[in-house]
Amino acid sequence: MSAVCAALAADPVLARHYADFRAKTEAALDPALAALVRQAVAAVHGMGDAPDESGLDQGIRTILAYARRMPFEHTAITDAEAAAAVAHLGEAGFVAFSVLAALADAECRAEQVGLAELAGG
Amino acid sequence: MSTIPRVSSAIAGEPAHFGSVLARQPAIAESFFALYGRFWGSDVLAARIKEVARMRNARVTECGFCRNVRFDKAVAEGLGEEVVDDITDGYETSARLTDAEKAALKFTDALIHDPELLTGDAKAALQRHLTPAQIAELGLGVTLFLALAKALITMGLEPEAMDRTVLPTPAVLEAAE
Repeated sequence: MSAVCAALAADPVLARHYADFRAKTEAALDPALAALVRQAVAAVHGMGDAPDESGLDQGIRTILAYARRMPFEHTAITDAEAAAAVAHLGEAGFVAFSVLAALADAECRAEQVGLAELAGG
Repeated sequence: MSTIPRVSSAIAGEPAHFGSVLARQPAIAESFFALYGRFWGSDVLAARIKEVARMRNARVTECGFCRNVRFDKAVAEGLGEEVVDDITDGYETSARLTDAEKAALKFTDALIHDPELLTGDAKAALQRHLTPAQIAELGLGVTLFLALAKALITMGLEPEAMDRTVLPTPAVLEAAE
């Protein structure tokens, strides 16, 4: 469970909305890719191991390299990097991926700051 | 940072902006706007404190769009431009921000920048000024502000120029409840 979901335990309606948003974002991507993106972002934050990319194709590696930029280098991502991600995912996929990678980063940060404990969760 | 959209609008006749681009994923868009409306519609945490945190995130993440938007509910609660001007480095000494807002800002900085900023004193101040339920809402808000600002920036949706714009505060979508 994410730190945000845990923090919202006392507000079931808001918790349900947040869980739905999170689930819809993940559901828009291949489940394996969504998991890899979350893992890659978490690894940048020192929260677990980076994905094993040895068996992954170049397109997935491009997406994971992009995802790793989200936590600390989001303003430095170039048009060329974005174009490569769009080429692999398509425009709709790129939108879902952008939201997921950014949300994964924010959720890692919420966990690191101890949100659930602060909110009594 | 690009101001050239990296993804096109999904709505005919509309330029690429957050809503028109998110429309490429209707299920995500519907769920997000339901969540965002519920978040802003809740009065557990005052809209003014939510907006203070949103403004801080806008400045730290360099989101020009977020920085120039104001939500009317917070303006009605007294968040004038002279207060917004104080939401910058050194906000701790502001005479216009309340102690609760300063505690919320420290939490915001810790979440979006460095968790080490939430020292024992800062944590105690946060818990003195806000209830657990209010902290939960603040945490949700900062999580969403940060994620959306980064998604917006990386999709190339930053405006080249934008005037300050007061918008209606997102509202609860009855159909989503």
